[in-house]
Amino acid sequence: MKRIKLLLSVLILSGFMLQGCEKGFDDLNTNRVDPVSLDPQFVMNKGIMDATYRDNFATLQTLCYDFGIVQQVITPFGSSLSGGNYNIFNPGNTTQVWTTYYQSVIKQLAYVIDKTKADATKTNLYNEARIWKAYAFMILTDTYGDVPYTEAGKGFLEGISKPKYDKQELIYKDILKELDEASAALDAAKNTSSSDILYGGNIPKWKKLGNSLLLRAAMRLSKVDPATAATYVKKAVAGGLMQSNADNSILRHTSLYQNWIAVHLTAREKANFYLAKPFVDYLKNNNDPRLGSIAYRHVGAKSGADQAAPRTTTDPAVQLGMPMGFDDVSIKNTFATYGVASLYDYSQVNLNTILKTDAPEYHVTYAQTQLLLAEAIFRGWTTGDAGAAYKAGITAHMQQMAEYDSKAAIAADKILTYVTANALVAGKELEQINSQYWVASFINGFETLANFRRSGFPALTKNPYPGSEIKGNFINRLPYPDSETITNQENLNAAIANQGANDINTRFWWNKP
Amino acid sequence: MVTTKKGSSKGIGVEFNSNYTTDEALDFTDFQYEYGQGERGVRPTTAYPQSGVWSFGEKFQPGMRQVLFDGEDWPYEPVRNRYKQFYSLGTNLTNTVTLSNGNENGSFRLSIANSDNQGILPNNTFNKKTINLGFNQNINKALTVQGNVNYSNEYNKNPPQVNTQDMAIPTVIYTLANSMPFAAMEQNQLMPNGNEFVMARFLVRNNPYFSLNQRFENIKRDRVVGNVSFRYQINSWLYAQGRVSQDYYSRYQDYNIPNGYAPIPAAPTGFINGSYTQDVRNFRERNYDFLIGATKKIRDFGVDMTLGGNQMYRKTEYNSVTVQDFVQPGLFTIMNGRAKDPLYAKAERGVNSLYGAADFSYKSFLFLNVTARNDWFSTLAADARSILYPSVTGSFIFSEKIKLPSWINYGKIRAAYAEVGDDNVAPYSNALYFGVNNNLFPNPSGASVPVGGINTTLVPNPALRPLRVAESEVGIELKMFKSRVGLDISYFYKVTNDQILAAQISDASGFTNKLINIGESMNKGLEMQLTLSPIRAKNFKWDINLNTSYNTSEVLKLGSAASDTVISVGGGGGRTIKQVVGLPIGALYTFLYKRDAFGNKVFDKASGRPLRNDVPAYVGNILPKYFGGITNTFTLYGVEVSTLIDFRLGAKMIAGSNMNALRHGLHKMTLDGRAEGYVIGKGVNQDGGVNTTKSDIQPFYETPNVLGVNEDFVFNAGFWKLRQVSIGYDFTKHISKAKFIKGIKANLVANNVLILKKWTENMDPENVANISDNETGLDFWTPLPPTRSVGFNLNIKF
Repeated sequence: MKRIKLLLSVLILSGFMLQGCEKGFDDLNTNRVDPVSLDPQFVMNKGIMDATYRDNFATLQTLCYDFGIVQQVITPFGSSLSGGNYNIFNPGNTTQVWTTYYQSVIKQLAYVIDKTKADATKTNLYNEARIWKAYAFMILTDTYGDVPYTEAGKGFLEGISKPKYDKQELIYKDILKELDEASAALDAAKNTSSSDILYGGNIPKWKKLGNSLLLRAAMRLSKVDPATAATYVKKAVAGGLMQSNADNSILRHTSLYQNWIAVHLTAREKANFYLAKPFVDYLKNNNDPRLGSIAYRHVGAKSGADQAAPRTTTDPAVQLGMPMGFDDVSIKNTFATYGVASLYDYSQVNLNTILKTDAPEYHVTYAQTQLLLAEAIFRGWTTGDAGAAYKAGITAHMQQMAEYDSKAAIAADKILTYVTANALVAGKELEQINSQYWVASFINGFETLANFRRSGFPALTKNPYPGSEIKGNFINRLPYPDSETITNQENLNAAIANQGANDINTRFWWNKP
Repeated sequence: MVTTKKGSSKGIGVEFNSNYTTDEALDFTDFQYEYGQGERGVRPTTAYPQSGVWSFGEKFQPGMRQVLFDGEDWPYEPVRNRYKQFYSLGTNLTNTVTLSNGNENGSFRLSIANSDNQGILPNNTFNKKTINLGFNQNINKALTVQGNVNYSNEYNKNPPQVNTQDMAIPTVIYTLANSMPFAAMEQNQLMPNGNEFVMARFLVRNNPYFSLNQRFENIKRDRVVGNVSFRYQINSWLYAQGRVSQDYYSRYQDYNIPNGYAPIPAAPTGFINGSYTQDVRNFRERNYDFLIGATKKIRDFGVDMTLGGNQMYRKTEYNSVTVQDFVQPGLFTIMNGRAKDPLYAKAERGVNSLYGAADFSYKSFLFLNVTARNDWFSTLAADARSILYPSVTGSFIFSEKIKLPSWINYGKIRAAYAEVGDDNVAPYSNALYFGVNNNLFPNPSGASVPVGGINTTLVPNPALRPLRVAESEVGIELKMFKSRVGLDISYFYKVTNDQILAAQISDASGFTNKLINIGESMNKGLEMQLTLSPIRAKNFKWDINLNTSYNTSEVLKLGSAASDTVISVGGGGGRTIKQVVGLPIGALYTFLYKRDAFGNKVFDKASGRPLRNDVPAYVGNILPKYFGGITNTFTLYGVEVSTLIDFRLGAKMIAGSNMNALRHGLHKMTLDGRAEGYVIGKGVNQDGGVNTTKSDIQPFYETPNVLGVNEDFVFNAGFWKLRQVSIGYDFTKHISKAKFIKGIKANLVANNVLILKKWTENMDPENVANISDNETGLDFWTPLPPTRSVGFNLNIKF
């Protein structure tokens, strides 16, 4: 009997232990460390930051393709660094924009928009997110053409694993509508947050950003749909553009959140990238004071280790761009011609000024906006003094140099001398404005490339590299990532059927000749 | 589960075991040694650009010289046997002492062991100390207590870096230029300013001696595994048992990136660059279980029933801080760091189970076993976390009942059906979580504000169900010719439902993977074991054991819609593994060269480089169809000699480390065109004409890696290996009973003796640094080379 009692108590104890069999499991499977929601303003901050804070290899696409195609920065080295330098397809350097923007920027913005769209206290944040989303999608579509747009970033919110691709025309028309509506809907009288990393919640500045971006988006259509372009240029101007460098949209990198283009160039690719000859020549031939802010050269350097003081000089007179069209072996054939000691002797982007590891990056600037305005005036799409806008654009960019580093600052008298000597000349307006835009957007590879494709200026000649694989003179777009052929094949095929072959020659909608 | 080794019950026993093993790196590379270091057909004649990992130079000629990265003049000649020159002989010494004693009321067993290992990387050592104590004791006639505790202390110093680029010594040694003298690297590790002396402009292929001497890593672990159980014999046929067990460990790890390592950026003014990480993880798994058992025998019928339950709780915690850049040179501590990045993570999971089993027997030839088990998983959806799964097994020893030919002395057939449930998913996979960045970011007025967001690329799934495996098996076991021939054959058919996988999705969705229950897959096969004893003489015995199995699989269903026929589960660099309806599990895909309608390769008209197909193609399956082993054991006058040959056949793999050999100019394929100084790819160009475009050698052979075309390196992953040879002798019979020493045994064992047959170039098909199970069959980064070990074991009983 005693033993039976004992057995019963063991059973009861066990039953107690296992009671419910799943008691507390909901609690056990709840993560107590990470939050399940976050103030959408902080998430918005991440969406803004990740548009330029692209760590590790995420900047290689900009370095190897964008900079190379527009002939501003070039590497003679191949294999994993090949791209615009040889005019060939290197799938290792064509996916970073896609990956970063969809996985980091668009995903976060989709959440912000979802959390704010029905919240009357967050209308300003909602409209800021719409503006930033337009900014991000312009970069995506200007890189690849047709891309997932309406269904993108909704893997969690709507369970969409295979987003369909939208035609670039539809994307641009929606971007124009969104920028127009969102900029207009921003209201300084409503709630705003000083936790905003871009403008600290300054709504008038956000409005100016929205309208300046609207001007940029409208001008993108100058070739393909001038009527729509003109319509939206007028709206942008009426809405109010950026008025000074104080309105610029900037990510102010810090020693903790570094400028990754700079990190890459000071670290792994330290001795591999050089200023390209067409860019240096343009600045040199026009006595452009920005050359001294942007470039340095290590005279007589024979190795990466030699690229240091006392060889370092920022003297514009001795800057020498690396000629286009050479690889790391054939470049030797240029040494005698240009009187350099080695490939390490060519000029580089100054890593103490414009590409310090904490140098700011600019999304949309007053300088760019004035130059686009000058073109819009010239085309008759809005009124004003094109020459004055042109001059204001150049002046603003030269003044912007001081924001990188005091060493890069350009004195007011030098600016005045330059703009006086380089006024807008009748008959050469488009070339002059867009060549200046090329300089004013330096380091912002997406924008430099997009505007070069749109305007055809500066009138660069084809990169003469002998192994070039392109049909025309320039790479026209970058192919979709290989991952899409694995995960989203039907939609990808539909996009290719609409747009043309998935290669570097196909022209997308706004860039049809 | 650790089971208690009960102590002996014949007075105090002492046992001493000593094992000494040496490990020698095996080199399966068969590289070209005709053209030496250099790029684009030119040998290095200046220090820069440093070409230390490219063998696209000139043809070796007697008396040729080269100028290496150190600026010095060196002979331009092949440097062979790279593994032998760099890797050292690994050694392992393990000593174990065991004490045991016991009487009718209880016993104990205590064992203490120390193991010292010197890796084949000169700076890698591993030490492990273990203490194990087991006991059992009868408290009274009915109550018994039993326990076991095992403590171990491990210190792994400088484990090799694999599966990564930075400081990965095995990858550097594999890709090193074929005329790079090791002395040049060993003599030039640091620049005068203390920074790394760069030997290749491909900075992450860094000087291996710099990695050996400047990088450090320490992993230390203390682990205690123990259990205590009470068993109460209620009466002659009924008992109850309760047990508590725990596995706990604390693991410490720290490692650095050295000051002056070339691929990292300079530190801000006033700091020294580099980084240091220190982390601690804790693991705890606790199990409580009880069991009630009844045994009854009524005439010819035997019944054995148990009923039990288990509660499992597991917690892992992770604390880590990484700092970047330092104040004080050479001091790798968290406090000395400039930018600090802390991380804490915690995961808990529980599984509760109730189970019962009944064994029925009739006489000694008919057996039936029935079980049922219910599990509840904390990680799964509330309405799906419970799963009940049964099993039934029957066997019939027909040799007891049926008149068989006299040469069959034993025969048994069996049939079984079993289901198993499981939750193969991490905790918290049901919801989306956010992360706040460690560091605040300044707004325009300089105030620090938070930045944060969705912190995962995996779409969670709140509706996950447990996976369920249902397996049927039939088998027959025969012993013949006085048990000289034994045969055991079984056939199995297994269906797995609802396996949980992180399927790759379009990252335009914002995420890269989505957790799903993937439907249905099937495995079936045959397993056979044959034992033979051809010779059984008094002083000579020969035994053969042959194990083999044949296994095929098919993916039957994926996802919920009929259109869901493919999911991708892993890969990179053009190498992908997919699950495809209608194909075996684990279909291997890669890009192929573009070909015209007649099968000719297509080359770019302008550059002469090969082109690729737009979509990756199916090139085989990663799971082997056949595997097995043959053991031959010979016993001659007490000397036992044994050999094991094993094999794996019927699978494909991408031996991607060859991609590195190709793009670095080491693969023999790259000899084509060297004499001419250019390659004209054999095939056509885009316009259909015969390809006549000359391509530079180096870009031509870099192209497959750039484009992800792995076609050249899809190999049969099979092998035949002489896995083990051992020889042993028991000296015990030569010792008189009265002596202090009661037994001596000695053994000599060689492992990984020989590859009898393989198909992969430049590598052992088993020597793959897989990142995860989903990437079986994919190889890219070179792991530490495989080793052949030879060991001596001595066992003495006192």
